[in-house]
Amino acid sequence: MNYKLISGILGAFAVGFRNIFKRRMTLRYPEQRLDIESGYTFDAKSNTGSAGFKGRHILYTDKCTGCSLCAIACENIADCIDMVQVEGNWPINPKDIMPQIDYGRCVFCGFCVDACPFDCLFMTPEYELSVTDKRKLVHTPFQLAVFPEKKGNVKLITDDGVAYHD
Amino acid sequence: MQNAGMNIEDKGGDKLVLHVGPQHPGSGHFRLIITVDGDYIVGAKPDPGYVHRGAEKMAEYRDYIQNIPHLERPVIIDATGVTLPYVLAAEKIIDVEAPERAQYIRMIMAELNRVISHLYWLGIYGIFLGHSTMFMWPMGDRELFIDLAESIGGTRVTFSYVVPGGVRNDMPTHFKERALKTFDYFEKRIEEYKKIFFNNPIMTARTESIGIMSQADAIKLGITGSNLRAAGIDSDTRKDEPYCLYDRVDFEIPTRKEGDSYARCIVRLEELQQSMNIIKQVLDLIEPGPIKQVIGGVMRGEPGEAFVRTEAARGTMFYHIVSNGEKYPYRVKISVPSFRNLIGMTHLLVGSKLADMPAIYWSLDYWPVEADR
Repeated sequence: MNYKLISGILGAFAVGFRNIFKRRMTLRYPEQRLDIESGYTFDAKSNTGSAGFKGRHILYTDKCTGCSLCAIACENIADCIDMVQVEGNWPINPKDIMPQIDYGRCVFCGFCVDACPFDCLFMTPEYELSVTDKRKLVHTPFQLAVFPEKKGNVKLITDDGVAYHD
Repeated sequence: MQNAGMNIEDKGGDKLVLHVGPQHPGSGHFRLIITVDGDYIVGAKPDPGYVHRGAEKMAEYRDYIQNIPHLERPVIIDATGVTLPYVLAAEKIIDVEAPERAQYIRMIMAELNRVISHLYWLGIYGIFLGHSTMFMWPMGDRELFIDLAESIGGTRVTFSYVVPGGVRNDMPTHFKERALKTFDYFEKRIEEYKKIFFNNPIMTARTESIGIMSQADAIKLGITGSNLRAAGIDSDTRKDEPYCLYDRVDFEIPTRKEGDSYARCIVRLEELQQSMNIIKQVLDLIEPGPIKQVIGGVMRGEPGEAFVRTEAARGTMFYHIVSNGEKYPYRVKISVPSFRNLIGMTHLLVGSKLADMPAIYWSLDYWPVEADR
């Protein structure tokens, strides 16, 4: 019993001690940012999506017809999409309306992307959406139309016995 | 009597009433009203409902797709575990069947979620026993599994990935290599967990023969999941009533006879290994093919009912959906494992010391939001 007690405690310490010398796995966030390859997209023809991160949306304004299906899909989920009037000349958009997304409400489920029959609303790997003013969380169609720049180049790597971000 | 916060009520004599919770002094969002006589607990009255949000009623005003993001909120930590039975029940009502590949991917996601959920529990259990290393390690390693699940599901926890008719998107191309690499790493890591925590005499002294649930009590009180298996009953819905394609994979049901807090711990640790074994087998079995049966237009069910029982991370998750042929389901009833395990908690706490309360409470893997729905 006594031998078991001492060997158990020493064994626990030994494992903890060994781990001090391993590379730590913490992502040092503002200096390091994760590399996320692609955003979630959906192909309306085959009715299946392609794997990707569900971040901020991207709206292809030239393809949007203002059909409001994204807003209808969101209606009972987060109710965060509003169809708003946009300025300019849009040949395939007779009512000149496009989605405006409130990221204070969005749950990033991506069902609006599934609902879009014209492949014009997708998601991007952009996840840094925090702002200092609540009203800035509402992204207008033109804000959504900008493709985010790639920020990170760090990946989570597992070698034998060690996991780290590099 | 003021009931808010941690008021202490004098019951006369040596007895005191102590409110634990509902805002997280080691209880989760849930209040436990404990009567103590000196150092011993003589009465425990759980008071769930603090995070009740009416998920069942909300489900009656949403269609079959819109329900998915809402129904995974109660257990975001086990998002696939809670939505999979809903989707299986909805499929019975809409009368579609998912293709074989979709069934396999669902199994992968369900097992990944089980690992994520168990690792979260392990971290919390470690910190409540005062072992902060055991909080850091599982939380860090959980990130690896979240990374794998994210590469399929798109988000870290709430994937909304399983839909009636199949799954939303295919697996990424290099998923198999990445998953096997992670499992190799984590299998070595489990051995380290055992040395620093599970075989550590300081931990075993706090959990062994604490909160013993006998086999007869476990059946009588209707306990499910790992807690039932730790009491010596090899009951697992994946084996008893195979759903998806669980009958094609070979895995063991870890059981223990003791029924104490330590047994519940070690059963969950062994389940991590079994989940990884299932994913490995599925990755060998899976073949290219369609991932979704396309349903045109709005999903409308035939009038009728559907019952589905699956094994979520915390135990048996049961859904009963009634449809009257409308766009929205008429009734969605969820019977959650946490609520059943709550009954066992009262039974275990009475008679134990107050200092053993965290060791018993967290060994049950009780998730207040799931119980309240």
